[in-house]
Amino acid sequence: MFDFEPFYLTFKLALATTLILFIVGIPLAYFLAFNRSPWKVLLEAVVGLPLVLPPSVLGFYLLLAFSPQNVVGKFLNDYFDVRLVFTFPGLVIASVIYSLPFMIQPVQSGFSMVPRSLVETAYTLGKNKFTVLTRVLMPNMKAALISGCVLSFAHTIGEFGIVLMVGGNIPHETRVISVVIYDEVEAMNYTQANVYSSILLIFSFLVLVSVYLVNRRALKVHYQS
Amino acid sequence: MIEIKINRKLFGANGELRLVFDTIIRRGEFVTIYGPSGAGKTSVLRMLAGLLKPDGGSIKVEDQVWFESGKVDLPPQQRNIGIVFQDYSLFPNMTVQGNLEFALSKGQSPEIIGELLSLMELENLRDKRPAVLSGGQQQRVALARALIRKPKLLLLDEPLSALDTAMQIKLQEYILRLHQQFNLTTILVSHDIAEVARLSKRVLLLEGGRVSKDGTPGEVLPLENFRNFIDGMIS
Amino acid sequence: MKLRMFLVLPLIVAGVINCHAQGKILVAAASDLRFALDSVVAVFKKKNPGTVEVTYGSSGKLFEQISNSAPFDMFFSADVEYPKLLKDKKLILSDIYIYGVGRIVIWSKKVDPSKEGMKSLLDPSVNKVAIANPAHAPYGKRAVEALLHYKFMEAVKPKLVLGENISQTAQFITTGAADIGIVAYSLALSPNMQREGGKYYLIPENTHNRLEQAVVITQHAKGNDLAQTFLTFVKSDEAKKVLGHFGFK
Repeated sequence: MFDFEPFYLTFKLALATTLILFIVGIPLAYFLAFNRSPWKVLLEAVVGLPLVLPPSVLGFYLLLAFSPQNVVGKFLNDYFDVRLVFTFPGLVIASVIYSLPFMIQPVQSGFSMVPRSLVETAYTLGKNKFTVLTRVLMPNMKAALISGCVLSFAHTIGEFGIVLMVGGNIPHETRVISVVIYDEVEAMNYTQANVYSSILLIFSFLVLVSVYLVNRRALKVHYQS
Repeated sequence: MIEIKINRKLFGANGELRLVFDTIIRRGEFVTIYGPSGAGKTSVLRMLAGLLKPDGGSIKVEDQVWFESGKVDLPPQQRNIGIVFQDYSLFPNMTVQGNLEFALSKGQSPEIIGELLSLMELENLRDKRPAVLSGGQQQRVALARALIRKPKLLLLDEPLSALDTAMQIKLQEYILRLHQQFNLTTILVSHDIAEVARLSKRVLLLEGGRVSKDGTPGEVLPLENFRNFIDGMIS
Repeated sequence: MKLRMFLVLPLIVAGVINCHAQGKILVAAASDLRFALDSVVAVFKKKNPGTVEVTYGSSGKLFEQISNSAPFDMFFSADVEYPKLLKDKKLILSDIYIYGVGRIVIWSKKVDPSKEGMKSLLDPSVNKVAIANPAHAPYGKRAVEALLHYKFMEAVKPKLVLGENISQTAQFITTGAADIGIVAYSLALSPNMQREGGKYYLIPENTHNRLEQAVVITQHAKGNDLAQTFLTFVKSDEAKKVLGHFGFK
């Protein structure tokens, strides 16, 4: 019996996470790239934590934070009727935190690689920081932006430990493909596990190939006319 | 009239240097800052542009105060200047036309674009991206772009040093043409004696962190080189 | 542009698929019930409308999740203790119903427990012995009790490999990660495990605490009639027969 739903769920999760990270990550990466405050180091370390911490540690603290038994979770539950454990929204938040460095680091790097003189020239032409961000910086760091998105997307698809902890294995809500594969292996349905795994592998590969193709085409068009 | 009285500590290969730059520039003047590398010429331009903060002093441009230590520090967006860097800094993601349109201030009529394109002889290139232009062409675009907003002050930071001699001469003509057409107050930073002599009537020699000489090219430039230049011109 | 279409289409389809089912319950069940409960649900479905979805895991983990308001309507534990704890936390709606008594077996492909019985655990060719983690899996607790009863613990301890739940324990053995182990009788009787070609030995009941397994309806099921309907079915003779097939008495 073959079920498409985990794929859609996984896809939905990765897409939502990537979109949120794009919106949240750009200002953060901008700050890290251009700000000279001494507090920057702390923020960079915090952003990099998910890279170093085992998913179970992150998952554990998120579970504690989101659980309706504890302060934050209780507040959300009582006043907003919002639950973050074992729900899709909770999973999205956990994913955003977990994949944060995968968006921030390439984008921050991209920002610092755009020649400073381009930015300064734009300032002297009377353009404010937001205009410079959207019309000078971002168009000239497409590869970095694409990298950030692809890495965040792929990283979210591969998530397992955090998903299991914060999401549980709730059908239609948090039963993403990595959990399904784990489940099938546990049930000794090795054929099923194989089928799901192969599909995931092929799909991921295709996504990466198509994105890198788009990236190359974008760069070509960008520099010629 | 532009009154500049700025100072700043600079850190260079030779250690610390206290830069003091005091001068008055009249409207429409074409001034060159000349001096050895590391003298602080580029820093002066950057401070005028608002890209670098002086440690102290003031910058007054006609009736506007651009900088007054501890009180005023207008960001570059609010100082109406045009600047051309050595690397042209054209926006690679825009065409020539796009680069010029980008420079327009809010509500400004795009007529000026056509004017400058024809003045700099760039009409055929308006839809091209910077990557396919030659160095000389790019520099013309950069110059045109710097003028779109009709700036009060035009700053040129060694704009021609990356070009070959033939190109340099051609571009110098364009600069002269622009200066005559718009009567722009211009400050050029250059270490090329021929260029300095050709373009400006007034030269400031920046040495050891201060303006050590201020006068005509003949008065300021190193004598032997200048003589050679004159001889070269005659022959 | 084509890439964007490619991204949007699945979202639309997912939205369409995600329509709400009529009458649905989410059941948390101990891993040893994986095949037994699936069969019970299959029989239930034939005569009853509504959807019964099951999530399997170790009883301890599921208990934790339910305590943290996981959206499960019923909880089939592999013991009676966890349901009792839920009752103490005032998280249940129904009474605690004991649906069967579980048994443990020694299972292996490498050696033949059906011939050697308990001694197969001490076979020199055995490097790793898998049991479920006694910290949160009732079957693991019973395995430890049996090992202590036979005074095998000293010999076996250095070779122990702990499975997250009884299913993972079985999976360790079938894949050869462990040479032998103690798993649930219900799993050994399942088609998936039978297929693997191992042999088992039913460990005598008197060597460990009785593994009474209980089910409860949780607070989450408030207002959901399907939970009660399903529980009634589980108590029926028909369901008992299915469970009996998998070794539950």
